[in-house]
Amino acid sequence: MIWETIKMAVHSLKSNKLRTLLSMLGIIIGVGAVIAVISIGAGSQQEVTSSIAEMGSNLINIRPGTSRGRFGRFSKAAQNVFTMELAEAIVDYCPSVIRIAPRNETSGHFVFAGNNYLATLTGTTTDFLVINKYRPEHGKFFNNYDLTHANNVIVLGSDLAKELFAGLDPVGRKITFLYNQHSLVFNIIGVMEEKERGISGDLNGSAYIPITTYLQVISNSRYINSFLAQAASSEVAGAAVEEIKYLLTKYVKDGEEFNLFSQDQLLQTITEISGTMTLMLSGIAAISLLVGGIGIMNIMLVSVTERTREVGIRKALGAKKKHILTQFLIEALTMSCTGGILGIIFGEICAYVTALLGNWPFVISPLSILLAFSFSLTVGVFFGIYPAVKAAKLDPVIALSYE
Amino acid sequence: MLQVEELSKVYVSGKIKVQALKGVSFAVTKGEFVAIMGPSGSGKSTLLHLLGCFDHPTSGRYKLNGINVAGLNDDQLAEIRNKYIGFVFQQFNLLSRATILQNVEIPLIYAGINKKRRLEIAREMLEKVGLEHRLDHLPTEISGGQRQRVAIARALAINPSLILADEPTGNLDSQTSAEIMDLFHELNNQGQTIILVTHEEDIARHAKRRIYLVDGEIRYDEVTPS
Ligand SMILES: Nc1ncnc2c1ncn2[C@@H]1O[C@H](COP(=O)(O)OP(=O)(O)O)[C@@H](O)[C@H]1O
Ligand SMILES: [Mg+2]
Repeated sequence: MIWETIKMAVHSLKSNKLRTLLSMLGIIIGVGAVIAVISIGAGSQQEVTSSIAEMGSNLINIRPGTSRGRFGRFSKAAQNVFTMELAEAIVDYCPSVIRIAPRNETSGHFVFAGNNYLATLTGTTTDFLVINKYRPEHGKFFNNYDLTHANNVIVLGSDLAKELFAGLDPVGRKITFLYNQHSLVFNIIGVMEEKERGISGDLNGSAYIPITTYLQVISNSRYINSFLAQAASSEVAGAAVEEIKYLLTKYVKDGEEFNLFSQDQLLQTITEISGTMTLMLSGIAAISLLVGGIGIMNIMLVSVTERTREVGIRKALGAKKKHILTQFLIEALTMSCTGGILGIIFGEICAYVTALLGNWPFVISPLSILLAFSFSLTVGVFFGIYPAVKAAKLDPVIALSYE
Repeated sequence: MLQVEELSKVYVSGKIKVQALKGVSFAVTKGEFVAIMGPSGSGKSTLLHLLGCFDHPTSGRYKLNGINVAGLNDDQLAEIRNKYIGFVFQQFNLLSRATILQNVEIPLIYAGINKKRRLEIAREMLEKVGLEHRLDHLPTEISGGQRQRVAIARALAINPSLILADEPTGNLDSQTSAEIMDLFHELNNQGQTIILVTHEEDIARHAKRRIYLVDGEIRYDEVTPS
């Protein structure tokens, strides 16, 4: 009997295709929007999350605080404690931190064979390589021996090697760095691989020298501009931040005097923002689902009125209330479910195209599909029940004399 | 087979009360062919609706096949209609978007008969009324007389104890009317009980008995004079 009723419903919906399609449109768009929003949200979030994780969700940037204002200078109190001794203390006393690299930078002109190129000179340690998963492509990076002896060695980033040495092998040659009217000559011992932008920014446009050399010949001081610390894992990144904060407050009285920034925090913020966005957009989409439901109810009411005579005939021939009720309810359900399925397909296509354009992974969430489908089922029952009850209650005598 | 006693019906619409039937009593036995006659507004349709279990009488008793119909609820009445009564209406009342075969199937669907058996019965009935070559046509594609034949086939499908017809020839020309009446005549000869409402003498002539209503009361109830 139920099967007969479903066939009857489909038959009746088919005999008025355009109207059926129009009344399903609200559901199609509503479900489509929900599915697309959730899928796009999940895909883009996965993209952002994975690119941040690639940068290292366990990395923490430590800088001296700056005084207020846009061009604020580093806080003197903090700067005084930012030395290599602090780096050692952090590794020693913060159990969640496994390594830390200093990073001092300055820009100037690199000169080779009469050509010059404006780039950054970075002073750091070997840990910088490990933390950034950065490798020399040719030659080698400086080692601990170079660090302890403050050797005059330099490793070039890939851009620098390309710009100044076009085809030539830089390893074994000398390069001049012009800085503050000083002219410094370094021995090139390696060229780094090309690396995508990460937490440490653009690595390719820089050249690397031992931090000890940097402090001696460039800054002529003991002070480090910033540290990059690595926690044992992203799970303990939060703990590492707390440990470092605690340690730093022992050196600097005012907590404002330094900045700690972890990728983990960034990740959390982004997840929260995109979660809120998805929720908000889903809310808007849910409203259009509701409107879609009202559209179905409207059409069903029109349909009941139009088919009053049909109801009368069916009742005259022995249809009980439940038969008429299920007939109209199933019509509403068939519309809302078909609309739901079309909406899911439509939404996933939108999400797929957006993922292609946005260059992020296309994510199908089975949960959202299930949710959207059961929602459209609910809409069908909720908005279909009233017209169906109205039809079932019709008096056969009156229904038959209805023109 | 069918007994009514003091059956009356009062329609109430707003403050106006219309007493359409004022205590009607009669009995019909199996195999009878009864014409209910009377001027317009005399309560013929009202009586037929009560006999057809469409409506609840205001007072009085109605027994059909030994069942006391007056006390039943809407769904029970639907079941009685489905089991025992075949209707033929003046306006044919076919579903316009269903084929002729599907139209005849409808009462069988509600009787819970399976598809295969339904098609068998529907074909057989349409053959009986001479429409076996029109099974897949829509009602709009056939003539008025043919439509009424479909309606008769549909009424016969459930093998009813009683066929009720409300002015079945009211929308047909005299030639077609005569053909339809011949069909009723033939069915009655096969033992089918028929009650038919008409105000035309020509039509009533086919019946063996006539009940004449005036103002909701039986004026006379007699064997058709030959
Ligand atoms: N649903 C109704 N509501 C109110 N009055 C009705 C209704 N149906 C019929 N009547 C009245 O009852 C009387 C009998 O009507 P009806 O049985 O249709 O007469 P007939 O079929 O003999 O022309 C008429 O006066 C008619 O106006
Ligand atoms: Mg009438």
